[in-house]
Amino acid sequence: MNAAPATSRLIDRSDLLAALNRAAAGKVTIISAPAGSGKTSLLRTWADRPGQPHQLAVVQVQRDQHDAQQFWLALLSAVRQASGEADGAEPPAATPDFNAPAMVDRVLSELADARGDITLVIDDVHELNSPEALSQLTRLLANLPPNVHAILATRHDLRLHLHRLRLAGELVEVRAADLRFTESETRELLHASGINLSEAGIALLYGRTEGWAAGLRLAAISLAGHPDPERFVTEFSGSDRTVAEYLIAEMLERQPADVQDLLLRTSLLDRVNGELADLLTGRSGSEGILLELEDADAFVVSLDPGRTWFRYHHLFGDLLRLELRRALPEEVPALHRRAAGWFIQHGQVVDAIRHTQAAGDWSDAARLLADHSFSLTLDGHAQTIQALVRAFPKGACANNSELALVRAMGDLDHGRLDDAAAHLAVAETHVQTAPPDRQRRLQVAIASLRLSLARRRGHLAGVLEQVRFLAAPVTGQSDEDIALGSDLRAVALMNLGTVEAWSLGLPEAERHLQEGADLARKIGRPYLEVGCLAQLGFASKIRPFATARRRCQEAIALAERHGWGAEPVVAPALVTLAGTMIWTGEFDEGERWVQRAATALQADTGPDIRLLLHQAIGILQAGRGRHHEALEEFTAAERLRSQLEGSHALASQVTGWMLATQARFGMPGEARAALATLDDERASSGEIRNARAVFSLAEGDPAGALGALADVLDGMAPVIGYVTVVEAHLLAGLAHRELGDQRAANQAAERALALAEADRLVLPFAMTGSRELLEALPRHETAHAALLTDILDVLHGSPLTAQDQRSSPQTEELSPTELRVLRYLPTNLSRPEIASELSVSVNTVNTHVRSIYAKLQAGDRSSAVQRARELRCCRQALRVSTVT
Amino acid sequence: MHPAPVLYAIRIHGHLGATVLSAFPALVPQHHGADTVLTGLLDRSALYGVLAEVEALGLDLVEIRQLTPPRKSPESGDSRSP
Repeated sequence: MNAAPATSRLIDRSDLLAALNRAAAGKVTIISAPAGSGKTSLLRTWADRPGQPHQLAVVQVQRDQHDAQQFWLALLSAVRQASGEADGAEPPAATPDFNAPAMVDRVLSELADARGDITLVIDDVHELNSPEALSQLTRLLANLPPNVHAILATRHDLRLHLHRLRLAGELVEVRAADLRFTESETRELLHASGINLSEAGIALLYGRTEGWAAGLRLAAISLAGHPDPERFVTEFSGSDRTVAEYLIAEMLERQPADVQDLLLRTSLLDRVNGELADLLTGRSGSEGILLELEDADAFVVSLDPGRTWFRYHHLFGDLLRLELRRALPEEVPALHRRAAGWFIQHGQVVDAIRHTQAAGDWSDAARLLADHSFSLTLDGHAQTIQALVRAFPKGACANNSELALVRAMGDLDHGRLDDAAAHLAVAETHVQTAPPDRQRRLQVAIASLRLSLARRRGHLAGVLEQVRFLAAPVTGQSDEDIALGSDLRAVALMNLGTVEAWSLGLPEAERHLQEGADLARKIGRPYLEVGCLAQLGFASKIRPFATARRRCQEAIALAERHGWGAEPVVAPALVTLAGTMIWTGEFDEGERWVQRAATALQADTGPDIRLLLHQAIGILQAGRGRHHEALEEFTAAERLRSQLEGSHALASQVTGWMLATQARFGMPGEARAALATLDDERASSGEIRNARAVFSLAEGDPAGALGALADVLDGMAPVIGYVTVVEAHLLAGLAHRELGDQRAANQAAERALALAEADRLVLPFAMTGSRELLEALPRHETAHAALLTDILDVLHGSPLTAQDQRSSPQTEELSPTELRVLRYLPTNLSRPEIASELSVSVNTVNTHVRSIYAKLQAGDRSSAVQRARELRCCRQALRVSTVT
Repeated sequence: MHPAPVLYAIRIHGHLGATVLSAFPALVPQHHGADTVLTGLLDRSALYGVLAEVEALGLDLVEIRQLTPPRKSPESGDSRSP
C-alpha cells in the first residue's frame, strides 16, 4: 500500500475521506468491516490524498500471523521509516527471547521522539493470531503520544480493550454501512472506469451488489470492454449466486487462458513474483501478466516499490485457491513442492517449510524445520517455529527425532522443563535410526539443548562429561551446511561455557565463551555474541573486578547497539555489573543496574538468573543496613536455589548469607535447623562456616566462632572467592573483640583491609557489621587508611559515587608538592604546623593550599578534603593524611 | 459446551456455487429460496472453522441453528446420531 501508486479507478469518496480526517484529530480510528468492503482502498486513497500532512507508518499484518515478534519488528521499522530514523541506525533486530513489553516501550519512545505528526496504519489486524500481540497493541494504542494517530483495519471487531479511549471520545469507528458505496458513487466509479451504463442498469447493479465495494469493482472489471454491458447487468441481477462467486467466475472467464492458469496456480502462494509464477505455470512472461493485472485493478497488488512481488486480494485469493483445488486437485502437491524448492533456494525457510507441509511431505518438512530451527530461532522466529510444529498431523511424527528436537526447543523457551526433557529423550532414542550423515548434527543439537536444560534446572555436574565433544567443530559439506553448522556450534559453545561458568567457574568457561563470541562475530550473529559476552561477564566474577566490569560493559554496549539493552540475554552482564558496584560500596549506581536487570528479566524466569538478581538486591539492602529486606531477598534466592537440582556456583553463598542474616536478626533457631539439613560437602564450605561463626557470635560464644572460622582462615575450607575470606577475617575480628583481645581484633581487621584493597571491597564490612571494629583500629596501625575512610563513609550512610562520576568533572591535576600538602588537610594541624612538618615556609603552604582549592574547585578546607576523596585523585596523599 | 458434534444448519444468503461449496466439504448444501442452507455435524471447533470460512469468503450469513437438542445426561452419550 505504501508502494503502489493509487490507480485512477479509486474514486474520490470525499465524505469518507472527510470522516477519516476528522477522526485523525483523535487517537485511534478502527475500520471494521467484512472482506471486500473497500477498507484497504479507502486507506490508500486517504494516504495518497494531496496535502496529506502526516508521515505514514504502514504495516500490513501477514496472513495468519502467530509471531508477535515479527509483527512488532515490522511495526518498529515502519515507524522508523516514517520518522526518517531508518537511515544510519541498525535495523531493528530479532532476538530469540522476545520481550514484548520492552518492545512496546521502544516503539512508543521512537514515536514520541519523531518530529512532526505520524499516522500509524495497521491493515488486516484480524490476521494477528497472537493474544499477546493484541494485548500489547492495546497498550500501545492507549498510550500513543499526542503527535500520533493510529488507524486499524480489520474484518471483525478486535478484542482490544479501548473503553477508556472510547469514553474520552478518542476512538472513532468506521463500519460496513459507512463503507458501502452510494448510488451516485457507483455511477462515478463506472464513469471513472469508462463504462457506459443506463441509469436503470446502474440502479440494477447497485441493488444487486448493495453497494459492496468488491462487488462493484469486480463488476467494473468485467464491464470494461464488455460487448453488451446492459445484458451483463441483467443476467447478474437475475442470478441467485453469491455476488463474489458470480463476478469472479465472470471475470476469470473473460481472461485469456494463460492468465486464468497463472491466477489459479499461483493462488497457493501468499505472495508471488514473476520467477515463481513462471516456475508454477511452466511458462515465461508471468511478470508482465502480473503487472497488467495490477494496472487493470484486478485484485492484484504489488508489495514493493519496484513492483516485483505481488499478492492477491485476500477474498479473491481464497476463491481462486478453492477453484484450484477443485479444478486441478492432482497438481496441488506438486505445485507446493515446486514452490518449496524455490523458497529454500532463496533462503526463505519459513515459506519453504509451509509449502512442504502443504504438499504433505511431513518427514521432509520435519527435517527442514530441525535443520533450521537454531538459525530461525536466532532470526526471531521462535513463535513461527511453534506454529509450524503445531501444523504437523498428530501421530504422523510421534517417533520423529527431528520434530521431537524442535518441540524440545519450544518447551525450553516456555520453561516447560519436564516436557523438554521428555522430547529430548525421544529425540535421543531415535537418533540412531537417522541416516548417518544426519546423526552428528542431531547429536550436537541434542547436546546443546541438554546443556540449556541442565542450566535451567541447575543440574550441572553430570551433563558436562556427556557433551565435551561439542567443543570440536561440526563438519559440513556445502556452504549452507557450514553456515547452519556455525550457528549450531556458536549456540553450543555459548551453552557449554555458560554451564561451565555456573558450575563453579571452571576456567574452560571463559575460553569457550570467548570462542563462541568470536565465532558469533565472524558469522554475523550479534545476538549470540551478546549472549556469550554477557555470560563471560558473569564468568569473570572470579577475576579482578576491573576485568569483570569491563567485560560486562562491553556486552551491554553491544546489546544496546542492537536495541537489546533490556533483553534477558544481557541480564547476566547487568546483574554481574550491579554486583561489582555493590561490592565496592557504589550502592546508587548498583541499584540502577539492578533495576535494569529486573526489567530485562520480567519476561524470562529461569531460576538460575533470577537467583542472581535476588542475591544482588539482597546484598544491596544489606549494604544499606536494611537487613529485613535483605533477608527477604536472600530467602527468595534460597528458595530458587532449592529448585535447582544440582550444586550451583553460588549455592553456598546464597545459603550462608540467608542463614547468617537470620541468625543476626533473632532467628537463630530457624537458622540452626536449616543448617542441620545441609550435606557434608556444603556444610564444610567456607561460606557456611562463616554463617556458623555468625550463629556463635549471636549466641555469645566468640570462642566457638573462632573455631568455626579456623579452616577458612588457614585456607583449608573451599571458598567461592576471596570475599569469603575477607568476611572470615572480619568475623574473627569481632570474636576477638568480644574476647577482649583488641590486638588480635586489630590484626584481623587489618588483614581484611589488606585483602579488600585490590578490588576496594566495601560490602563485607557492612554485611558483617564491622563498623566498631574498624573505628577502634588506630590509624597508625593500618596501611589502608584511604580504603578505611571510604568504608567508614559507607557505614555511616553515605554511599560512594560511581567511578565514572568521580572523574567526570575535569579537574586539573595536583602537583607532587600540592599532594604532599593535601595529605595534611584532613588533620587538625594548622597551616604553620603543616609548614613545620614539611619544613617549608607558611607562605609556601598558603600558596599550595590556594592552588589546591582552585584546582579542586573547593571553598574551604573540609570541602577540599571531601572533593579530593570523591575524585580519588590523591589516594596516596589521603592514605598518609589520616595519621593523627 | 458440547464435546460431541451437534447438527447445525447454517443459512447463507445467495446460492453457493461449486467453488465456494468446496470450502465446506463436511456440510450438505440445499437451496431455500434465495438462500443456501448448509447442514452438518460439527463440534465447537469445526463450527468456528466454518464461520471463519464464511468470513474469509465474504459470505452473507443469515442464521445459525442447532438442530439437535443438547444432551443432558452422560448416559445418553452413546446415542450420538440423531
